[in-house]
Amino acid sequence: MEAKDPKKHRKKNSGPKAEKKKKRHLQDLQLGDEEDAQKRNPKAFAVQSAQRMARSFHRTQDLKTKKHHIPVVDRTPLEPPPIVVVVMGPPKVGKSTLIQCLIRNFTRQKLTEIRGPVTFVSGKKRRLTIVECGCDINMMIDLAKVADLVLMLIDASFGFEMETFEFLNICQVHGFPKIMGVLTHLDAFKYNKQLKKTKKRLKHRFWTEVYPGAKLFYLSGMVHGEYQNQEIHNLGRFITVMKFRPLTWQTSHPYILADRMEDLTNPEDIRTNIKCDRKVSLYGYLRGAHLKNKSQIHIPGLGDFAVSDISFLQDPCALPEQQKKRCLTEKEKLIYAPFSGVGGVLYDKDAVYVDLGGSHVFQEPDEVKPTHELVQSLISTHSTIDAKMASSRVTLFSDSKPLGSEDIENQQFGMPKEEKHMDLKTGRVRRKAIFGDKDEESGESDDEDEEEMSECDETEEEEEDEITDREHVTVKVIKRQKLEEVEEDIVVDLPAFADSDDDLHRSAEDEEETSESSEEEYTTVETESDVLESRAIGESSKSGLLEANGLSDNLNPEKSLMLKKAIFTTSDSGHYTAEEAFASEDESEENSFLSLKEEGTEDEDFIGEKRIKPSQKDSGQKLGPENLTDETSEVEYLFKEEDYKEEINSSTETSGTLKWKEDLSRKAAEAFLRQQQATPNLRKLIYGTVTEDNEDNGDFRELGGLFHVSHPDRECKHKGDSLDCSKFFVEAPHHWDLEEVMNSIRDCFVTGKWEEDKDAAKILAEDEELYGDFEDLETGDMHKGKPGPETQIEGIVEEIEPKPEESANKKHMDKKRKLKELFDAEYDNGESTYFDELKGEMHKQAQLNRAEFEDQDDETRVHYEGFRPGMYVRIEIENVPCEFVLNFDPHHPVILGGLGTSEGNVGYVQMRLKKHRWYKKILKSRDPVIFSVGWRRFQTIPLYYIEDHNGRQRLLKYTPKHMHCGAAFWGPVTPQGTGFLALQSVSDMMPDFRIAATGIVLDLEKSITIVKKLKLTGFPYKIFKNTSFIKGMFNSALEVAKFEGAVIRTVSGIRGQIKKALRTPEGAFRATFEDKLLMSDIVFMRTWYPVSIPTFYNPVTSLLKPVGEKDSWSGMRTTGQLRLARGIRLKPSKDSLYKPIVRQRKHFNSLHIPKALQKALPFKNKPKTQAKAGKVPKDRQRPVVIREPHERKILAVLDALSTVHSHKVKKAKEQQHLQNKEHFKVKQKEEEEKRTQQKELRKKIFRIQGQKERRNKKSSLKGYEEQLK
Amino acid sequence: MAAPTHSLDYAGCNFLRQRLILATLSGRPVKIRKIRPRDDSPGLRDFEASFIRLLDKITNGSRIEINQTGTTLYYQPGLLHGGSLEHDCSVLRGIGYYLEALLCLAPFMKRPLLVVLRGVTNDQVDPSVDVLKATAIPLLKQFGIDGESLELKIVRRGMPPGGGGEVLFSCPIRRVLKPILLTDPGKIKRIRGMAYSVRVSPQMANRIVDSARSVLNRFLPDIYIYTDHMKGASSGKSPGFGLSLVAETTNGTFLGAEMASRPQGQGTAVLPEDLGRDCARLLLEEIYRGGCVDSTNQSLALLLMTLGQQDVSKVLLGPLSPYT
Repeated sequence: MEAKDPKKHRKKNSGPKAEKKKKRHLQDLQLGDEEDAQKRNPKAFAVQSAQRMARSFHRTQDLKTKKHHIPVVDRTPLEPPPIVVVVMGPPKVGKSTLIQCLIRNFTRQKLTEIRGPVTFVSGKKRRLTIVECGCDINMMIDLAKVADLVLMLIDASFGFEMETFEFLNICQVHGFPKIMGVLTHLDAFKYNKQLKKTKKRLKHRFWTEVYPGAKLFYLSGMVHGEYQNQEIHNLGRFITVMKFRPLTWQTSHPYILADRMEDLTNPEDIRTNIKCDRKVSLYGYLRGAHLKNKSQIHIPGLGDFAVSDISFLQDPCALPEQQKKRCLTEKEKLIYAPFSGVGGVLYDKDAVYVDLGGSHVFQEPDEVKPTHELVQSLISTHSTIDAKMASSRVTLFSDSKPLGSEDIENQQFGMPKEEKHMDLKTGRVRRKAIFGDKDEESGESDDEDEEEMSECDETEEEEEDEITDREHVTVKVIKRQKLEEVEEDIVVDLPAFADSDDDLHRSAEDEEETSESSEEEYTTVETESDVLESRAIGESSKSGLLEANGLSDNLNPEKSLMLKKAIFTTSDSGHYTAEEAFASEDESEENSFLSLKEEGTEDEDFIGEKRIKPSQKDSGQKLGPENLTDETSEVEYLFKEEDYKEEINSSTETSGTLKWKEDLSRKAAEAFLRQQQATPNLRKLIYGTVTEDNEDNGDFRELGGLFHVSHPDRECKHKGDSLDCSKFFVEAPHHWDLEEVMNSIRDCFVTGKWEEDKDAAKILAEDEELYGDFEDLETGDMHKGKPGPETQIEGIVEEIEPKPEESANKKHMDKKRKLKELFDAEYDNGESTYFDELKGEMHKQAQLNRAEFEDQDDETRVHYEGFRPGMYVRIEIENVPCEFVLNFDPHHPVILGGLGTSEGNVGYVQMRLKKHRWYKKILKSRDPVIFSVGWRRFQTIPLYYIEDHNGRQRLLKYTPKHMHCGAAFWGPVTPQGTGFLALQSVSDMMPDFRIAATGIVLDLEKSITIVKKLKLTGFPYKIFKNTSFIKGMFNSALEVAKFEGAVIRTVSGIRGQIKKALRTPEGAFRATFEDKLLMSDIVFMRTWYPVSIPTFYNPVTSLLKPVGEKDSWSGMRTTGQLRLARGIRLKPSKDSLYKPIVRQRKHFNSLHIPKALQKALPFKNKPKTQAKAGKVPKDRQRPVVIREPHERKILAVLDALSTVHSHKVKKAKEQQHLQNKEHFKVKQKEEEEKRTQQKELRKKIFRIQGQKERRNKKSSLKGYEEQLK
Repeated sequence: MAAPTHSLDYAGCNFLRQRLILATLSGRPVKIRKIRPRDDSPGLRDFEASFIRLLDKITNGSRIEINQTGTTLYYQPGLLHGGSLEHDCSVLRGIGYYLEALLCLAPFMKRPLLVVLRGVTNDQVDPSVDVLKATAIPLLKQFGIDGESLELKIVRRGMPPGGGGEVLFSCPIRRVLKPILLTDPGKIKRIRGMAYSVRVSPQMANRIVDSARSVLNRFLPDIYIYTDHMKGASSGKSPGFGLSLVAETTNGTFLGAEMASRPQGQGTAVLPEDLGRDCARLLLEEIYRGGCVDSTNQSLALLLMTLGQQDVSKVLLGPLSPYT
């Protein structure tokens, strides 16, 4: 074959394309002769009609404002959680393929099997979590609630399927996420035209569902079982740059799409009872809002749970650090999908093996109990007892620190920050627990202790579980590592430590532990593992040491105070030493005072503690270390004394200087001190234990803060029967007559001295300095908003070193700034609309929110504001049904939806409901229906009602076909305005549309007022004139008495009223009517009977079903289904059967008027006695004429002739009529003309006449004037 | 079934009001045991019972169980319903006792609250209606609870022990509260007050005013104290007089103080001059404590802050009162 030269491209010289090109070319050269139409033809665009212009203006404004959204405070965290991309579509449409392709596109990794959500880094600032959504309606509902973006796969060769529409409807109800359509199977079309047409058709249908212009992606054809790279790349670009509008429900609720689940139940419990309730930890990125510990969550498909513990872990799929590069390196393209076993991690119970395929390290945190910190550190130090004592001082010290709120939290629930260390040689991952340095405050609030107690027990249980688990692990690890020598060492070392350890544990926990042997074992295991770890890491203890050493420096005076107090409260010995310490100190007044006060507090606290829980069975983390210090005795105290001295000195100095400089009374100092001590406590009280309600605050403050309250008063408080009053009574009022006391508050008044930056005089002076002879325009106002301290500091700095150039420079800057402000004030005011203002306000608030916690580390932040979205958290949940674990299927999403304050309650919920127009049946009252409201899916029994014009809620038997109606059910309360959808069942696969109804929650009530009509019927048994006696309506006189005065009616419409009960028969009554009744009448009374709603609430527990049957949950069945299943036929009552209506013909008797009446009637009304036409007498009877055939013929001809004639006449008449009409018209015209002529003529004449007259008048006037002259 | 929200357990009757309010707002049931078990008259007092009744009126579906002696109370809160209602408060405590609770709850009702409270408007124990009107209402306005319907009107004054006062309180509902930022109390620019006297000589009020001014004039010239002498039906059932003072700062902070005469027949009578002076000193004490919210309203401010949106609110408080 010879190679043919490819045809050269020829430019087009004619046709529309060429013209367009030419035009563009000209325009580029700016030679385009065609200006835009408005310039070319201004007349065409001129204002034709003001009204229309106004209207069009209105319209454009309307459209503009429609685009406005109500501004909301921007609460998106700085590092947002991954975006949830739900890939949804009917089966066999290519979902998994698409996900695989997308993952490959972003991470260059190929996943063979995808189970559950897959998280990966898609860009420098964005991560994605891709979830596949099958056509199980449960899954569709759940995922629609958490989705940020939905990729709707549509098989173009087939067209839309019901699932797509169902999903769209679900989305509409639960808040509309971004939706992007993806057409697949486009290679099934053979002809291009058909393909185009189909695309267009599908696109337009899609647009009507989503919104016009919604993005629809086309994936044409597959290459080697995958979509084309370029198309996938484009799709990925679209996803990565997409912007999202926050949805109300999602932003107001925290939620987690769990991507990892672990069973933490004690294996022993499972062994004894395989069906025991499990304790489960779930992992995932927190999304939406802040989540607090101990809050309520709902897991759709499982039920409501309380979070027993929550902690944040290191991000397993972290965003790359800030850098200047444009694209990600391979290292940063992380992927995390534990369910699919991706992320280079393999799980083996509690150990984690990392597959080091790439060069990056996956970091998998694990639980290490902080309570073992002490133990671990004790064991891990390989040194002599003496050295250990030295070091143990430090460790003890770190533990005997007064417990801080955060630390209590941490020690009990929180997991420490963990770091992964890779042993490069063996490739093994070691887990290292790093504890942040914690200053602990001594909380002597008793309630808290109680709480801690319970929580402590929990943690201990956990520990035990942990330990047993760890045993396996460590053994394995040891085998791998082959560290026999080390092991030997441990064995040698062990007994000594174990004892001490035991003791420590006992004293700390004050609990009867299990048998000694087990304990020993446990400690050995502990030590083994710890030693191993410590060997590998060797840093934790060191860091601890460092920490402790640096502690005394770090402690600020307040905390040291608290610390000291903690020691005081621990024991008598401690108290004693502390006092000694005090005694040894200089005996300045304030110090002694301080110590006295400390004592006082200590005593009080002791009393308090004993009062509330005299058993002192604390075992709390807080008290544990304290007891410990008891036992390890005063040696430590001696060590510490020095530190304390320093601290106390510093504290007293700081507080003292403040106090004495002010030269206030002793009371003021006291108050100040009190305040100082109260503040850290408050922080702890409010944020320390999250579950505690605000109610407790009062008590705590009492205990922690007010030390000066006298003892009886205090006891009264403890007794809890004190006066409940919000007034703050002053115990020791100041002497306001004294000059110095007065001076203390003089600055609080406008007449007092102002701060430097706000002093009117100063500002005036400054202004004058700046502007010279300017008058002050808006003096004080300009400066008001400035924060004080900064400017103050500036001022001070200035005072200290007033360099001439600098000050001049500053002055210049000031002047500039002021001018700018003035300018801004002048020009900006007019343009800012209400909307802009609102936006600005929101923006300000957002910044404030951000700034507030910016500089704090995560540990503390978590306690203030809860876990913020974007964190990778681990949530522990207890009492989970075992089926959840046994039948766990990662394909089904596990969502943890946080509940609001009242959303855990159940009550009556009223909603507006409309049957879905695509649903084939109507819904029946009292048929169980599955609702999806908020996070939940549950079955309940609704009642449908309609509201009458008078506000009565009348029960309906069925929902209307095309109308909204009300629905009320008993179930979990969800805030008003939440959308919901109803399904009749989630199990059976019906070809029809599955969503039965949609609507919105209207009202939440604790009582419901739905009524149904009840007609009571009775029969008259005696009829007087308008009064009748009626029986059969009631059963007793009492009942009648209740309805006296009620309106009754007969079927024929005669109205009446119940008057009074009759003695016999029972239940009969007298009633009056507006007319006389008949005995055949039926009397009835319309009453309204309140119906009760069945209190049936059954969460859909689809996650508990076995794998593969998760979409087959069936709850309560309807009576109809039951009948069908059991083959029971309903026997309707005969009356309610429909029969053909046979109407009897009504026969009316003729009217008969009595003769007497007839006579009395006026003639007009008298029945006319028309004598019946009697028989014609014979003589008048005429014979019938019988014509001859000939005659008949003649007659017929005559007849015909006459007909013809009459027709002629008629025609002629018509013609005449027309002629007349025309003539009349002509005549009229003539007349008109004549009239106009005449009119004109007359006009002429009159005009001439008028002119004449005017002339005459003028002349006459002239004459007159002339005369005057 | 939804996990039953376990009830909170408390002992003793202190902070009964706060406990019940917070329970109502959070929807958690509360059980309070040992209410005055060793007292001569054990159990709930009249005024507490009246308070519980009021709670029952403003909510829908609350369940209240009290044992026979009244020493144990179980309260399962319903939904805050609101609407217009009337309540006869116990004369043992002032209307302020009830009103403080309503101030906390009113913005979160389902329907706007319009309540008529009858009882003692001013007494020595509770913050009087005057002070609440002058300090708490502006505080609510800071939170965005404003509008025409936010109103506190004293229709009649009633002094202890007879009572007979009447107060009209109406409050709109708000779905979201504005975050507040009160960190700078500003300077006090004016002091206003109300000296009232019922069923005593109208001269009493003037005497109070004079003595109070004598103390305050040393600090600020802008002082105006209104006198309010109620006569006839609007003067309640018992004689008495008192003074309430409010200091307003340049930044819109209100600090209040008040004092009332001893109820008739209890102890020696108070001289109006002393009362005025003491009250002025109380105000100075309040000013000395500082803060953007005065001591009576601290708890209200904190509560509304926590019930607001997620945004950061800041408020500067003086030393915390025992109630907060």
